[in-house]
Amino acid sequence: MVCQVKIRKCALSLFFCLGVIACASAQEFRFTTNVSSTRVAQDEPFQIQFMLENASNVASFTPPAFTDFEVMQGPSQVQGQSIYNGRRSEYIALIYVLQPKRPGNFTLSGATARVNGNVVHSNPVTIEVIKSVNHNAAPPQTPTQQPPGFQPSHRGPDEDVAEGILRKGEDVDAKLRKNIFLKVDVDKTNLYEGEQLTATYKLYTRLPTNSSVTRVPAFKGFSAKDIELPNPPQATTERINGQLFKVFTIRKTLLFPLQSGNLELDPVEVDNQVRLVKLSHDNRKRSRDPFEDIFNDPGFKDPFNDPFFDDFFNRPEVSYEDVPYKIQSAPVKITVKPLPVDTRPPSYNGAVGHFNMSATIDKTTLTTDDALTLKVNISGQGNVNLLNQPKVEIPGSFEKYDPKVTDNIEKNSNPLSGSRQFEFALMPLEAGDQTIAPVEFSYFDPVAHAYKTIKSQAFNIKVTPGKQNKRDKEDFSVDKNVLIPVHLAPQRWSKDAGFLLGSVWYYLLLLVPIIALIAGILYRRRQHYQQNNAALLKHRYANKAALKRLELAARYLKEGKDRAFYEETSRAVWGYLSHKLEIPFADLNKQLVQNKLAGRRINGDNTLQLFDLLDNCEMALYAPAQSNDKMQGTYQQAVKVISQLEEQLKTKQQVV
Amino acid sequence: MRPVRYIILLLLLGYNTLQAQDLTPQQRFEKANALYQQNKYTEAAGMYQQLINEGYPLEDLYFNAGNAYYKSNRTGQAIYNYEKALQLNPYNESVTHNLDLANQRVQGFTDELPLLFFQRWWQQWEHLHTPNGWAVGSLVLFWLLIGGVLAYLLAARFNNRIVRMGVSVIGVVFVAYLFMAIFTYSSLHNHHTGIVMNSGIKAKAAPDQNGKDLFELNEGMKVQVLDATADYCKVQLADGKTGWIACDEVKRL
Repeated sequence: MVCQVKIRKCALSLFFCLGVIACASAQEFRFTTNVSSTRVAQDEPFQIQFMLENASNVASFTPPAFTDFEVMQGPSQVQGQSIYNGRRSEYIALIYVLQPKRPGNFTLSGATARVNGNVVHSNPVTIEVIKSVNHNAAPPQTPTQQPPGFQPSHRGPDEDVAEGILRKGEDVDAKLRKNIFLKVDVDKTNLYEGEQLTATYKLYTRLPTNSSVTRVPAFKGFSAKDIELPNPPQATTERINGQLFKVFTIRKTLLFPLQSGNLELDPVEVDNQVRLVKLSHDNRKRSRDPFEDIFNDPGFKDPFNDPFFDDFFNRPEVSYEDVPYKIQSAPVKITVKPLPVDTRPPSYNGAVGHFNMSATIDKTTLTTDDALTLKVNISGQGNVNLLNQPKVEIPGSFEKYDPKVTDNIEKNSNPLSGSRQFEFALMPLEAGDQTIAPVEFSYFDPVAHAYKTIKSQAFNIKVTPGKQNKRDKEDFSVDKNVLIPVHLAPQRWSKDAGFLLGSVWYYLLLLVPIIALIAGILYRRRQHYQQNNAALLKHRYANKAALKRLELAARYLKEGKDRAFYEETSRAVWGYLSHKLEIPFADLNKQLVQNKLAGRRINGDNTLQLFDLLDNCEMALYAPAQSNDKMQGTYQQAVKVISQLEEQLKTKQQVV
Repeated sequence: MRPVRYIILLLLLGYNTLQAQDLTPQQRFEKANALYQQNKYTEAAGMYQQLINEGYPLEDLYFNAGNAYYKSNRTGQAIYNYEKALQLNPYNESVTHNLDLANQRVQGFTDELPLLFFQRWWQQWEHLHTPNGWAVGSLVLFWLLIGGVLAYLLAARFNNRIVRMGVSVIGVVFVAYLFMAIFTYSSLHNHHTGIVMNSGIKAKAAPDQNGKDLFELNEGMKVQVLDATADYCKVQLADGKTGWIACDEVKRL
């Protein structure tokens, strides 16, 4: 019946629907089962709704077997479209109102439908049926809670209003535990060191609550980057076990493990003040109240939190209770794998993700007065905020300063992406053609499980001398921190001759004077020797010398040269005396000879004969009375005297 | 193929050196100075080094080479050359100044203790003459000594007290000169000091690779070499720390 009405409606507004279908077909198809409450009293009716969202061409629909329940109403079909969160969707809902037959846990398997020729199933739902304590209290509630025609699916988040009512006999703790909890979502639990991990801390609630986070996780062993969340927090909805929960994201963080091993994400702690409505015993009256419909009207947002409503409708039948409830999330274990070591390139310094690198210089020709800027830009996805400066090999002819780091990280990007720029200022110190080696950057790609290296091209730079030179030259004062320039004075270019002390020449030159000294000493000795021996020889050979002279005299005698004869004889005698008595020739006289001879105890005959002979000679020389006999006699006498003297001197010497 | 390549290389080298030797040392020195002033420090340092290698022991040459190395960021070589210049003349103030500057670049540099007054006197006395000057002096004095002795011995005219006194004075001075000649010669040949040429060298507790690391040596540090095995040298820093490092890392002065 309802269907027919709907079809007619569609036919009437065909052109309108065409647009909607085009729109709806783009939407996601969903087939879900919703229940108004998963925990019901035995005789309490509840609503089950099978939702076909964005379904086109629904051929058949089979509800699950309601064996443990009694169908009180339905199926009623609701069709419509809605725009929710800017999303337009079309839905068909089949609603049953059921009443459990007996207490226990019952699982309703999902409904089956044929959509577009495919058989689809909705999710199963577990219903916990408890024994009813108050048979009077529960039944009248149902019509107020789920009035016919009520569309819970898209107003879902407001369903929790119903949960805010603490029914008689319900356990507060159990109710809280079921309806408020924390959950940590991580996108992976096994990852590489430095790889990104997204952790989301979520608060799930079906109760009106005033919550505050009392402990935030410290993320020990991770580098954390929070994603900014809207303030005030906005709720989304999530369906868990057929029930819609309001979900508040407490914290969403991008984590980069800094170490390998088993790490743990700390729990988050939330303090809740849950406002529960306690129904008075006499709630039959209240449920009849026309205001109750308005009061529970899902169109109102969180009416219990509204002070106006509080005051206005604070009637004795309803009382509020603020229940403090502290919840903690479960710690999450993360296994962090170390990065492979053996294939690690030398230029690797901690980047994990997927990156690009570009290196540029601002000029290729410059003077030594200018500065050069080398920009290394690393962009991509990964731990951009942890990038270390890439290894840049700057030749020694440049002065290098610490780089200026500029980050450009996309806000709230997930995975973290952006770029980091390193700006190296370089001062050329030397003129000439310089080459800066290629900049190398390596990162680990967790998807490919391998290291990747990016290399820029090498930079050739032409440096020309600047004016700095001139300034150096003009500055004559010696600053403590300024290098004294090179000395330009001409040099005496003599090669290192080596050490004189180590050369042969030194020793030869030392040897020469030593030889001279030896020669001098030898010479002196010989001279001395000669001086000493001359007299001795004369003495020894005096006889012979005298006899030689006498021989000469004898020849003169034969030739009759009387003068020469006497001369020679006289010389022979005197010479003999001179040598024998060691009297220098110049000092010879008779007296001295006599004294000397007397000194040697040679007296008498010999001396007389000697002087006689000398007298003869002198007389013959100065008063010549040539007579051959006399000459012959003189000669004989001379020989005799010399021989005798010789004899006597020998014997006397021996005596001495 | 290989020998051929070497021959070509040798020829090229020979050609280069021939070309370089066409210029007089003074011209090459001036060329190097010009390169230095055009801020082409590495090339200038190369030219200075070539002159040094050819055996010109000049104070200014070492000084300029030190400057060029300093400017091209080779602190170890710079300090080595400055020290060489100071060996020739310890009173060169430009060298001392630039050496101080270069030492500022040395990480972990510890200054040497200043010399005591008698050490300074001894240093002055040592540098009164060059080592060869001492040797020449000793030779001259020796000749004089022998001449005097000979004169005393051979010529009766010089055979008196004054000559004898003179000769003995000359003899004492000769002995002093000979001692100094030997001393300077040996002090220049012992090479007990050296400059560390690389940075980040770990001094070990024992002369082998597995020894415990004691401290780190950086480029430009001046060390005393106390002991040496075939590969390892025991070095002492100015602050008294000792350790073993590979001998290749130290360039002896």
